[in-house]
Amino acid sequence: MTVLQTRPTLTPEVAAETSAHEPTPELAASAVGNGGRLLRFALANLTRRPERFVLSTLGIALAIMAVVVVRTLSIGFAGSSSASLSEVLHGAPLWVTPGQGISYNAQLSAMLPDGPAPQLTVPPGWTALHTVAGAWNSSAGELAIYGNARIADGTVILSRSTANKLSVSDGGPLKVGTTDLTVSVTGNSPIVMVPEQVATAVVGSKSWWTVMPPAALNGRLDLGKLLSAATGLPTSTDPANKPSGAGLIYDTAGGGGSVTFQQRFTALYAGKVTGSMLGMVSNVGLILGFIIAVTSFLASVQERRREFGIMASIGLADEVLYFFLVESAVVFVLAYLGGALLAGVAVLTLVPGVASVSAWAQAAGMAAAYLPAMAIVGALVPVHRLLQQRPVSLLADAT
Amino acid sequence: MIRRGLSYGMLSTRRRASTLLLPMLTTATGAFLVVQVFSLTGSVKVQASAFGNKDQFFRATLLIAVVVLLVGVVEVAVCTTRTINQRTREIGVLGATGVSRSPVVAALMVEPIVAAFGGAVCGSILAIVVDGVLSATGGSSAEPELGPTAVGVTLAVLISIASAAVTSIVPSWHAASRPPIRSLSHGG
Repeated sequence: MTVLQTRPTLTPEVAAETSAHEPTPELAASAVGNGGRLLRFALANLTRRPERFVLSTLGIALAIMAVVVVRTLSIGFAGSSSASLSEVLHGAPLWVTPGQGISYNAQLSAMLPDGPAPQLTVPPGWTALHTVAGAWNSSAGELAIYGNARIADGTVILSRSTANKLSVSDGGPLKVGTTDLTVSVTGNSPIVMVPEQVATAVVGSKSWWTVMPPAALNGRLDLGKLLSAATGLPTSTDPANKPSGAGLIYDTAGGGGSVTFQQRFTALYAGKVTGSMLGMVSNVGLILGFIIAVTSFLASVQERRREFGIMASIGLADEVLYFFLVESAVVFVLAYLGGALLAGVAVLTLVPGVASVSAWAQAAGMAAAYLPAMAIVGALVPVHRLLQQRPVSLLADAT
Repeated sequence: MIRRGLSYGMLSTRRRASTLLLPMLTTATGAFLVVQVFSLTGSVKVQASAFGNKDQFFRATLLIAVVVLLVGVVEVAVCTTRTINQRTREIGVLGATGVSRSPVVAALMVEPIVAAFGGAVCGSILAIVVDGVLSATGGSSAEPELGPTAVGVTLAVLISIASAAVTSIVPSWHAASRPPIRSLSHGG
């Protein structure tokens, strides 16, 4: 608005027109400060070549779509594995796993042990819960089954959806293995909970322990070390460390730092998706999208050499950078919106079992983090080449 | 006349072969990934089964590979807009000398089709060679499958050509429809 203040006799239209044709340092400063005018200028330039504008936006949108789809799947997968960890721990800070390890069975949406839990004698005051876990071949297909002493004898706990799958109702009978149990429908866990001896009869001895410290030790960050000293088992606060030998105590509360065990666990499983072929392919897509942005801007620079030559010759060399940054920002923001929407439609129609709206929203948010860097570098590369040249050569080369 | 347009397009494509390298490369990258996903269907499905819903994850992998191929082909269309801009005056001369729109469009479409086809074929061949070398040297435990590979190559080539044609026809049509006087006065 500096222009209008310094030239009060001009109408806004004339002032705007004048500012476009008579750039001065003051006008340049006003242009830099005036986002709306820069945006209008950028849109006018972009729509001078509407096909290229649409194509480059489409290309970048497709690349962003690929990234958002993969991130959505990654977050969805990590979310279900994280929920399964909560099912295992039930608030206990220590998890004593077998030496053969534990694995997440995505088909059953449950953590399962790969071997029998180590022998464990906890110090006085500590409580340990032994859980036998595995896959049960039910009449409705394979289901995850956990058995421990917390479940009352003669009872099986199911979620509503599992009960529907098995065609049983609350209070009704269900035969698990050779044992007749009474159904109790509660919660929404995909896991079938039974007494320990029933689970052992069905899935064998594969198991783990979850350990609670005495109330006096609650809140301490070295519980793993204390139990390790008492039992001789190694301990770790990092879920990436695999159990070996007799077993491993995961200390899910200890370790300090800003990242919790659950968050590391989630990141570990999210990384499995992004590190797969799916993740690799989407990253290549993002690189190709960036190439499209750069080549599109390079072509634009090439075609507007005379315009930039005139600007540079009257001292507006640096302002060219602002023009391109705004053009780049417009293209990337539109591409981001289009790509994120396309990704939402794609994941919710093609992979509804894995993706959710919240996972998509998180993934779209994560993809937004790439945008500023891509938009800035995408604009800087072509403009840098332009600014290397003298105005006279820009004017001479232009055809 | 369209045949002459195609011949003219082939001549100018040969003359401007160096400018086609980047779009060919991006298309080849997309085609390479599509063929890889198809040829390693078994191992991709095994990897997908680790994430739970095997079919849905495989479908997602396929979708992403095709999307990346489309991104590669969009570069072909972006290159076409640049070419058309550089040849505006030439298009104006053709129009001024009485050449109708169809042969001009045909001539302009040769370049993107050749780039897309060449890129898809190069990418597919590279994918087959990489699979063969890795399989022969034991560099990969996954065994490439012949049937899915053929499907992958066919899809990569067809999608590349179709999407290059669809995305390039609009700028080519606009350029060929412009009055010759405008093309000659504004041409670069």
